[in-house]
Amino acid sequence: MVEYNTAQEVEKDAAYKKELVELLYQLADDDFILAFRGSEWLGIAPHIEEDVAFSSISQDKMGHAVIYYEMLEELGEGKADDLAHLREPKERKNAIILEEVNGPGNYLEEPEYDWAFAVVRNYFYDISKAIRLSSLKNSSYKPLAQVAKKMILEQYYHLTHWNMWFTQLINATDEAKKRMRQAIDKVWKDFDGVLTLGPSAKEMARLGLIKEEQELKDKWMTEIKEVFEKLGVELPTNDGPGMERGDGRNGEHTEDLTTALQTLSEVYKVDPAAGW
Amino acid sequence: MSLFAFDSLTEEEKYDRFLERINAGEKIEADDWMPDDYRKQLLKLIPMHGISEIMGALPEKEWVPKAPSLRRKLAIMSKVQDEMGHGQLLLRVAEDLMRPLGKRREDIMEDLLTGRLKFHNVFHMEAPTWGDAGVIAWLVDGAAIISQTMMLTTSYAPYGRALKRICAEEVFHAQHGEAIVMALAEGTDEQRQMLQDAVNRWWESLLMFFGPDTSKRTGNSNQDKNIMYKLRTKSNEELRQDFLTKYIPRIHSIGLTVPDETLHYDEEEEMWVYQQPDWDKFKQIVSNNGPRSQARLRLREISHENNEWVREALGKKQTMQTASV
Amino acid sequence: MEKKEHIDAFYQEFEVFSRKNSSAPMQHQFSLLAPNHEMALVMAKENFMRREPVGDIWVVRRDNITKVSEEDKEMLKRMDNKDYRETKGYGYLKKKWRQYEQQMLDEKEIMSWAGGIKRG
Repeated sequence: MVEYNTAQEVEKDAAYKKELVELLYQLADDDFILAFRGSEWLGIAPHIEEDVAFSSISQDKMGHAVIYYEMLEELGEGKADDLAHLREPKERKNAIILEEVNGPGNYLEEPEYDWAFAVVRNYFYDISKAIRLSSLKNSSYKPLAQVAKKMILEQYYHLTHWNMWFTQLINATDEAKKRMRQAIDKVWKDFDGVLTLGPSAKEMARLGLIKEEQELKDKWMTEIKEVFEKLGVELPTNDGPGMERGDGRNGEHTEDLTTALQTLSEVYKVDPAAGW
Repeated sequence: MSLFAFDSLTEEEKYDRFLERINAGEKIEADDWMPDDYRKQLLKLIPMHGISEIMGALPEKEWVPKAPSLRRKLAIMSKVQDEMGHGQLLLRVAEDLMRPLGKRREDIMEDLLTGRLKFHNVFHMEAPTWGDAGVIAWLVDGAAIISQTMMLTTSYAPYGRALKRICAEEVFHAQHGEAIVMALAEGTDEQRQMLQDAVNRWWESLLMFFGPDTSKRTGNSNQDKNIMYKLRTKSNEELRQDFLTKYIPRIHSIGLTVPDETLHYDEEEEMWVYQQPDWDKFKQIVSNNGPRSQARLRLREISHENNEWVREALGKKQTMQTASV
Repeated sequence: MEKKEHIDAFYQEFEVFSRKNSSAPMQHQFSLLAPNHEMALVMAKENFMRREPVGDIWVVRRDNITKVSEEDKEMLKRMDNKDYRETKGYGYLKKKWRQYEQQMLDEKEIMSWAGGIKRG
């Protein structure tokens, strides 16, 4: 199996580089957009203590995205800040469910944000991210394996945090159960978009960048089934989540991403060449 | 233990002993005996300070998703998080003081929404550009640092401990603000203009931040009482003067001006002379009639209502678990 | 009314303690509100130890803490006449040992023997 220790080494292997870059965009864009959605919750979480804790998680997530964007910069894709702020929606590789707004309204006005959706989306995502990072620890691209080992340290807290919220709310009052159920159904419809590695998944696995997509999906399902069983909650379907609104890995996105990108690049676009 | 029994002292003796303690530099804990008036002064000061931190998160929050680089996005997220954290610390101190009065955090939030509890003038104002995010972190936090460090020696121990944590983090805030401001000051013409406009916009609010000058000591004003109780050591005007001394040279050094042509240092009086802000406007602003007062209160209200089901759900679980033990 | 009670029950008081590493003492950090121990523990780290290293955390429901009352704090005071049980009562030995051309085995020296006296 081929192994690379630096970005320079990868230059000689165009086929490998193509898949590596593809994977890094997926990893970066997923973390980046979900961290952005998390940052919109700042100041309006269910209680102050949670506001502070949630913000740390969003910062960690965005910090991970920065690391991936910087790896892409090293591979000659352009400045990390440009990659985060200037790419068009169709160039983005994040899953559709991660770009979805937190709820009706926006972060400045009438944010009718849905905490059940935040809990379920983040919990499901962080389980899948933990599985993905464990696989990346053995990636054939050694710089990626190195950072995966470090990110996993932070991932443990994220998982504990969202597991705590998920577990506590799902068996609380009737209203909480109902809201959590709705959120689970909503996330389920599109969560396969997170689990997939896109059209070149097979090639990525063959090059040892990450494990087989199916193997990672199975792990996620096993984990989710265990959690649901323990809590006495039914799965929406037995055959795994769907991808109803399309595949973000293919550049398919919703209006929610377009507006998110407008917001997050508003100042940067005033003058991308300037120092900010 | 009855030989020394504190309980057998008269109210007057307790009061004298209390003053003796604070004059000797001792600190008062939440469960210690304190005169009602002391508690009253603390309750004027600390819930307002705490809720101002929470409301203070909102103007900068507007710039969190928009911050113009990955590093700035992370830094401002962390800065606003700290503001929420400061609110947490201070509200905990306030809540413990209110407990004997049967009030809890939920009541503090309600007091805010009904207008009974006020928050600092600066957080009622607009922050329309990224320049404002810089000026808030640099100068508004700078003003806050001046007044918070002054109170570090407060006689009320829990407040002092909260302030110690807060001031340590404020050092980061100041540097975060300086970094934004410096980048704009050294940037393009457009960036410099953005910064200067923001300074102009915030100047009057910054002067107002310390409150009106009540130089005549009457012995009955809250300021005087707070000084007697060793809650604070300086008057509003002294703090404002300290702020001008620390920050005017810095503002000028990076080529910025302040929108007050009369501003100068009077060597003889050893005082800054400046154009008084409009104190009637100040009263209007802190009565929730500032340009962004209602919009920001609405944000808190909507968050409060929207997440009520979460608090109710887990609170009910808690009540049921306690009942079944 | 029932709703209000439930919401109040969400806000339980917990005291938070932590230590930096296994040789550091437990230190009181601050207090927080949470509906139960699990959430209190998860909230504690990011609320009070975002920036410094932390090796362990305890959360204790405030009702479970017994404190010294203001009155009883008097019992914590003592006279300053007990240098016989502190090293400062033995400072003169330093000079004595010097007369015998020996160095005093002071606290700094003795604590430097941690893990066994280094030869050399």
